[in-house]
Amino acid sequence: MAQTTNAHRIKLGDSNTDCGNINDSFNTTVYNSGDAEIMRWLSPLDPGDRHNSVRAARHEGVGDWLLETTEFRDWMGGEGGADEAVLFCSGNPGVGKTHLR
Amino acid sequence: MDSFKKRISLTGRGTSSLVIDGLCDQASEGGQAVAWLYCDYLAQQEQAIANMLGAILKQVVGRGDLSKDIWEAFQKAKMVGGRRPLLADLMRMLRIAIDSLPQVFICIDALDEYLPKELPVLLKSLRDIVRGSPMTRIFLTGRPHVEEAVRRYFTKVVVIPVSPSQDDIVNYLEMRRERDDEPGAMDNELWADIVKIILEKMSDMCVGAFGVSALSTMLTKDYM
Repeated sequence: MAQTTNAHRIKLGDSNTDCGNINDSFNTTVYNSGDAEIMRWLSPLDPGDRHNSVRAARHEGVGDWLLETTEFRDWMGGEGGADEAVLFCSGNPGVGKTHLR
Repeated sequence: MDSFKKRISLTGRGTSSLVIDGLCDQASEGGQAVAWLYCDYLAQQEQAIANMLGAILKQVVGRGDLSKDIWEAFQKAKMVGGRRPLLADLMRMLRIAIDSLPQVFICIDALDEYLPKELPVLLKSLRDIVRGSPMTRIFLTGRPHVEEAVRRYFTKVVVIPVSPSQDDIVNYLEMRRERDDEPGAMDNELWADIVKIILEKMSDMCVGAFGVSALSTMLTKDYM
């Protein structure tokens, strides 16, 4: 991997193969080699895999309306600032974590 | 809030995955980033606070740009035997990554399954992130007892209580019927009886304690 002199941001390549660095038209270095190594260094966890398995098993259509509620939309819009940054769905075990999705 | 209780039919991983997908759909148009974590009792050792925040950071930067700050920190770490980033390092890198985007959503599923001794640190870190970048939105799911801990750090948290609705139990039963590998063994009359009995049984139960897990058990052992 190499560092460009004027690039404040480094483009993350989508390949994890050792194919070296490529300079794009904006003189930003595209880093391919070592991306995966940096990602592993940041964390060994890979939440993407888990999400894919959960979403594949979700029961289609159930709960879609939630995304349309005023409470959800207000939270998502961010108008409440730091004070209203958190939305917490509270439920006892067994109400759907594993089977109803 | 009562209307929520009647209508919301799923929580935990079902809710989280639904919200994550909904946010991702929007984020793809608006330039925001979505990061998520699924807490798990069985993986508590892997879910130390640094790994959790590092996983959030991975997802925030994974949408395209890796900051020079991260690259330099990594190179420096390599020179000293590849030591892992500390919480303070991750918070600093996360702050930079979040500030480079219009908005970041962080979703954490099943907070009650997170390491109890590190939960306060996780919540405090989330609060620090939000205070530094007020547009950041945090979506959490978990059992009711976690609410107290969440409220300690976010006094104005919006809480949505959830429980399974009758409609969704029926929908779930229909889904199971569609997957029946011996559909010829079921007629409409028998099916109507099964649905009726299960709904009666469910209403007799403490739904919060058994809910759909119990329903699944009934379907598997007693009725199908």
